[in-house]
Amino acid sequence: MITVTGTPTLTTDRLTLRAPHPGDLAAFIAFYATDRSHFTGGPKTLREAWNYFGTQIGHWVMRGYGMFVLTRTGDDTALGIVGHWHPNTWPEREIGWVLFDAADEGQGIAFEAAQACISHAYDTLNWTTAVSYIAAENTASIALAERLGASLDTKATPPPSTIPALVYRHLSPSLISKNPPRRAGQPQAQPSTKGAQGATSTNVSSRASASAGSPTGGAR
Amino acid sequence: MTSIPTLTTDRLILRAPAPKDVPAFATFYASDAARFVGGPLSEAETWRYQCQVIGHWSMRGYGRWMVTLKDDDAAIGLVGLHNPLDWPEPEVGWYIWSGTGKGYATEAGRAARDYAYDTLGWDTLVSMIVSGNDASVRVATQMGAVRVEDHHHPVHGAMEVYRHPGPQARA
Repeated sequence: MITVTGTPTLTTDRLTLRAPHPGDLAAFIAFYATDRSHFTGGPKTLREAWNYFGTQIGHWVMRGYGMFVLTRTGDDTALGIVGHWHPNTWPEREIGWVLFDAADEGQGIAFEAAQACISHAYDTLNWTTAVSYIAAENTASIALAERLGASLDTKATPPPSTIPALVYRHLSPSLISKNPPRRAGQPQAQPSTKGAQGATSTNVSSRASASAGSPTGGAR
Repeated sequence: MTSIPTLTTDRLILRAPAPKDVPAFATFYASDAARFVGGPLSEAETWRYQCQVIGHWSMRGYGRWMVTLKDDDAAIGLVGLHNPLDWPEPEVGWYIWSGTGKGYATEAGRAARDYAYDTLGWDTLVSMIVSGNDASVRVATQMGAVRVEDHHHPVHGAMEVYRHPGPQARA
């Protein structure tokens, strides 16, 4: 079995964020077959989605960080992807999020996951700033960015993209530590580091629907 | 960052693709020489494609290596076992972008084929060659592969399928 090694696992109150593995392919492909994926580069054909999943795995090796698969702790089913993204022609490093299924929205899951990723970016990856690139029409994602404390940065350059993107800049590390964004009743995320791995196997679960994350049209 | 194995031949090392290979890979894919293997590609596309090459290892359990000379870690080609979703079966593929004409593709291709047969236990292999890629056909032929059928690929267009001799008969 060939694995991507050394990828961390982040855990929050309810969620486990782990490296993508082939068992997540079916959920990923199903999501990218739907219109819900259009803010994040979809819809994609089966071939494109399969290749793009490979890109997500390879990004971990190329950058040392990447997009996690978002799961509920205790249930390994992939609910979405969230994490750190920086293709080589992008102006800045991004924190992105996607929930595959609309049914998982409205529970603060994306918020909780994104918050953990912001902490990880600042505390572990030592980023000094982070943005999210969001399609102007992606109101759900914009609302989430704002709930996280991010604000529109009209001076920043968006990435090359078929869908024009807005740049939301997240709170700086010092502001996060002074005034951590949190939802009522939710303690702050606590990233933890465990070894993770890619694996081989395929499980099929079909879910779909976009929500947030980066817009970037064909680019992603 | 990965458990991709390293292979060694007389003159070459086949190792995991790495971030340091980005410039060489991008230069090759920006050139007309990449026309038989999906190029030319932009810098952005090539970077993502290199990610895919790495991801393929995780998704399939095998994949393609960057080829280097033994005394120089600069990547001179990409060779190995390739089976994207829309391929009819796993192939051994090669492209060498630096030091062509020295038999490196054949040498690396043999190492990849040996890995498929001896380590993975496969009993057959093809090479999918875009029509007109005479240099690649010469490599396949040198390795004892023979043209068995044609294949139409939605992106690559007309391809020729060369079947390699099996583990017992390999040349």
